[in-house]
Amino acid sequence: MNLRTVVDGASTDILSVANLPVLWICALGVFAVIVVQTVIYVRAARLAAPAAGMSPGELRTSFRAGAVSAVGPSLAVALVAVALLTVFGTPAVLVRIGLIGSVSFETGAASIAAGTMGADLGGPTYTQSVFAVAFMAMSLGGAMWMLATLILTPLLKRGDVNLRKVNPAVMTVVPGAALLGAFFALGLGELPKSGNHVVAFLASAAAMALCLGIAKALKRQWIREWSLGVAILTALVVTYFTVGAGVFPAA
Amino acid sequence: MTTVTSSAASLQAFDATTARWGRLTMIAGLLFALAGPAYLVLFSGLEVDQAKIWTALLAIAGTFGVLWFVEPLTYYPILGQASMYQAFMIGNISNKLLPSALIAQSAIGAKPGTRRGELAAVMAIGGAAMVHLVSLLILVGFLGTWLVSVVPPEVIAVVRTYILPSVLGAVLVQAVVSTRNLRVTIIAGVVAAAVVFLLVPAVPTLAFFGTAIAVITTAVLAWFLRGKSSPADPVESKPEDPADELTVDQA
Repeated sequence: MNLRTVVDGASTDILSVANLPVLWICALGVFAVIVVQTVIYVRAARLAAPAAGMSPGELRTSFRAGAVSAVGPSLAVALVAVALLTVFGTPAVLVRIGLIGSVSFETGAASIAAGTMGADLGGPTYTQSVFAVAFMAMSLGGAMWMLATLILTPLLKRGDVNLRKVNPAVMTVVPGAALLGAFFALGLGELPKSGNHVVAFLASAAAMALCLGIAKALKRQWIREWSLGVAILTALVVTYFTVGAGVFPAA
Repeated sequence: MTTVTSSAASLQAFDATTARWGRLTMIAGLLFALAGPAYLVLFSGLEVDQAKIWTALLAIAGTFGVLWFVEPLTYYPILGQASMYQAFMIGNISNKLLPSALIAQSAIGAKPGTRRGELAAVMAIGGAAMVHLVSLLILVGFLGTWLVSVVPPEVIAVVRTYILPSVLGAVLVQAVVSTRNLRVTIIAGVVAAAVVFLLVPAVPTLAFFGTAIAVITTAVLAWFLRGKSSPADPVESKPEDPADELTVDQA
């Protein structure tokens, strides 16, 4: 692959820069760090287990229980991640959506970042330069969660920050309101783009509401886990047909 | 008494090891996660205007900045020091890691907040992380990348153009359902609609920070219009008050 011909800030061929080998190496670096951390933690837990009144069998049971219960959610996350490969490329999806972040915050952050450049994520204005800025900005945004964790955890451990001194209403009302304000604004912001955008948004919302309703009625947690992936796929399939049928003029 | 002191010492060793290596591995993960986009911005030849990155980050901070601090504060009482450094690097905390930890704790009859509970959580998150890494690597890294390369270009084009509304419709419904607060939902919906459909078309220069304006306005209004008696609960299954009592491992 010849770098010089592939990299062009004005090109909308995102995947040729999003899948550059350097990005793959960095993504696999995050994977390796998590493996190293897990090995160190498991060994530390093994040494401390007798003092905590825990048998080696109970340690193994805990590890296995964690692994087994993560299978469903992991597959659900993978499904959502695959749907986003065309927008961010594999390395960015693996790190941002598969690992550190989550689908909602990372796509939200990327959309906000593209918006500050007057571009639409995935649209004709989504160039390699816009992708690079959005990827950098969402990574910096994600880094803030880790920085806050690095700074706050030792303080909380020492008891310097007492949660009970924080007004409980601040801890409940403000984050909930921020979350809803963000996703209402991001979601409604999609609607003026085209009729097909409205179809995708409504189909996704309806599929999610249906999944959550069924999950609640049947008391099945796994339906809830898969609901986001199912909703995204449903919305894309429905939109594919309205685009193909030419119901609305092209975006 | 010798057994008591030696077990206290080995638990202290566990705290020291996990704090030290948890922090070091998290910093390493942070650097790998930033290295990819930084390469793209600085060395790929895209000639990105760096001022755009800071503008984008500012807009993201206005939207999600509160959560950078609130989430670590919220999860600390449930996760404990050691698992904090696991959870905020591996991601998908509420939909995957917390359930895994709780299932492991109940599998061996350990209470959260005790030493047994802490070790069970560390092992369970380790097990969940390994399952997650393998499924991401195989399903997203290999199968997903292959899938994108064989799917017809017109399908890719539809996915890329409409993925954002397809994600956001479902995420909005999810946020509304998990917040379970009609008052804040209405405030957020009205504020966001006003920003997206009235303010931004009237003052196009504000489009850059439309989402941040909606978030801040919603948070302020929700605060002043909050119900006197309603205990809002922004994050599902977050036993905040009982969890406050769980810091049993204070030295």
